[in-house]
Amino acid sequence: MEIEFQRVSKKYESGQEALSQVDFHLHQGEMAFLTGHSGAGKSTLMKLMMMIERQTAGQILVDGIDLRTLSRHAIPQHRRRVGVVFQNHQLLFDRSVFHNVALPLQVSGADPKQVAKRVRAALDKVGLLDKENQNPMALSGGEQQRVGIARAVVNKPQLLLADEPTGNLDPKLSAEIMNLFQEFNHVGVTVLVASHDLALVARMRHRVLTLNQGRMVNDGGFA
Amino acid sequence: MAQKPNQRGATRSSVKATKRHWPKRSSFSPAQYLRAHKMTLRDSFMRLVNYPLSSVMTVMVIAIALSLPGGLYVLLKNVQSVTDQWEQQSVISLYLFAEVEDAQALALSHQISAQDNVASVEYISKEEGLRYFERSSGYEQILSSLPENPLPIVLQVIPKEAVDVASLPVLQALRDQLAAQKEVEYAELDAQWLQRLANILSFGQRFVYVLSTLLMVAVFLIVGNTIRMSVESRRDEVLVMKLVGATDAYIRRPFLYMGFWFGVLGGFFATLCILLLSWWVSAPAKRLIDSYQSDFLLQTFNADEIVLCLTISAFIGVIGAWIAVNRHIVNIELQ
Repeated sequence: MEIEFQRVSKKYESGQEALSQVDFHLHQGEMAFLTGHSGAGKSTLMKLMMMIERQTAGQILVDGIDLRTLSRHAIPQHRRRVGVVFQNHQLLFDRSVFHNVALPLQVSGADPKQVAKRVRAALDKVGLLDKENQNPMALSGGEQQRVGIARAVVNKPQLLLADEPTGNLDPKLSAEIMNLFQEFNHVGVTVLVASHDLALVARMRHRVLTLNQGRMVNDGGFA
Repeated sequence: MAQKPNQRGATRSSVKATKRHWPKRSSFSPAQYLRAHKMTLRDSFMRLVNYPLSSVMTVMVIAIALSLPGGLYVLLKNVQSVTDQWEQQSVISLYLFAEVEDAQALALSHQISAQDNVASVEYISKEEGLRYFERSSGYEQILSSLPENPLPIVLQVIPKEAVDVASLPVLQALRDQLAAQKEVEYAELDAQWLQRLANILSFGQRFVYVLSTLLMVAVFLIVGNTIRMSVESRRDEVLVMKLVGATDAYIRRPFLYMGFWFGVLGGFFATLCILLLSWWVSAPAKRLIDSYQSDFLLQTFNADEIVLCLTISAFIGVIGAWIAVNRHIVNIELQ
């Protein structure tokens, strides 16, 4: 999936400007990091891509389509093409790991046989195939994050967004998670990872976008 | 580097795979849709079963709220069927002016009895009236102390139509027509009790309508509130479902089915309640009715009415849930 931000601004009703005149272009199959202090606008940028919020100025093009032209009813279709991973996992503790990962397939009305196959493939990819029947509550932080990743990729999204996916993890686990993202990128998924862990980001050797107070201050080489 | 061509290959094939996979709408099939609905219907029922206490309480509140108007409806239906069977020969008494002479009164009597809608006319002269009055009232002394007979000539008109709730307006029209005769001072239709009964019935009907409307609104609110709390307790789930691309319809569905179950179960228990109550009162009611007449059958909910009751309650449940869900799921978004 190809993403293009053209002079995108987001101003909240409180008057706070979370993003101002942001320009960048994420190519099909590219992997990039988004860094910046907390409050720099990383989450807002991700929310705009997910259509959780809408920009107040500028254009966001996804595969050449202006997101502003999409109606409220087109949002679910858009979100099915995007996988998201959060720092706080957003897992549901009233169901097993399997059913957490199956959720994106269920909401799109997939065939149950297909669902089981795909869920197991996704869990296999993150190395949690043996935990499918457990409750996510019983898993460690790193394992929970991997369940979140399995859920994000089970639908074979064209874009993978991760908002501080390693926030609570130790360096070793963080590196493992980042490697997972890299693997998905290697099979053609466009990946954007928001992180303030600059050391980790530098080691990954990918394009780095840096936000500061809502402005894109650096776009290019390694941090 | 040796891996690179391999990776490229993987890239291309997976891009193709995702492209094939994306347009879900086109892979929509009715069988799949029905299966999803069936699953949600079952799941939402299981959810009620898993929270038995709160579910039973909600269902019972709905059942009570529905059985009240339902019970009154049955009562009204019975009263109506009883009064429909009560017929009696009606009489219109025409009290003529005191100065009207016998000959004139007789002429009027003949004229009236010639009317199509009149069966017969009984002529009661002043003297006959006095005798009748003396016999029945026990006021002989007072009457004999009066200087002259104060009673007027009375014509008792028996209409062809028997009096019942349905024919009352026809008879009232006849009375008005007769009252308009110049010899007639006052015309009385001996059906005041029936008029009163008709009034009470129509009052009762209105009362049942108003009460039914109020209680149905109450059921709406009960279902709405229960569903609202359910949405609130499943907030995380709704949030995640939205994030992974669930449509509003998909998110709404389990809650609508929940409303459906509340409605149907409430309606079912309300029906049960009414049937039990009818059965319980049937014996004394039968004894009471038998003391008036014999050919009366106590009526209760028939099959049509049971189906109607369940349909209405299911409908209220779904609509109540719809309103509550729509108001709430829109507000649930990632902060």
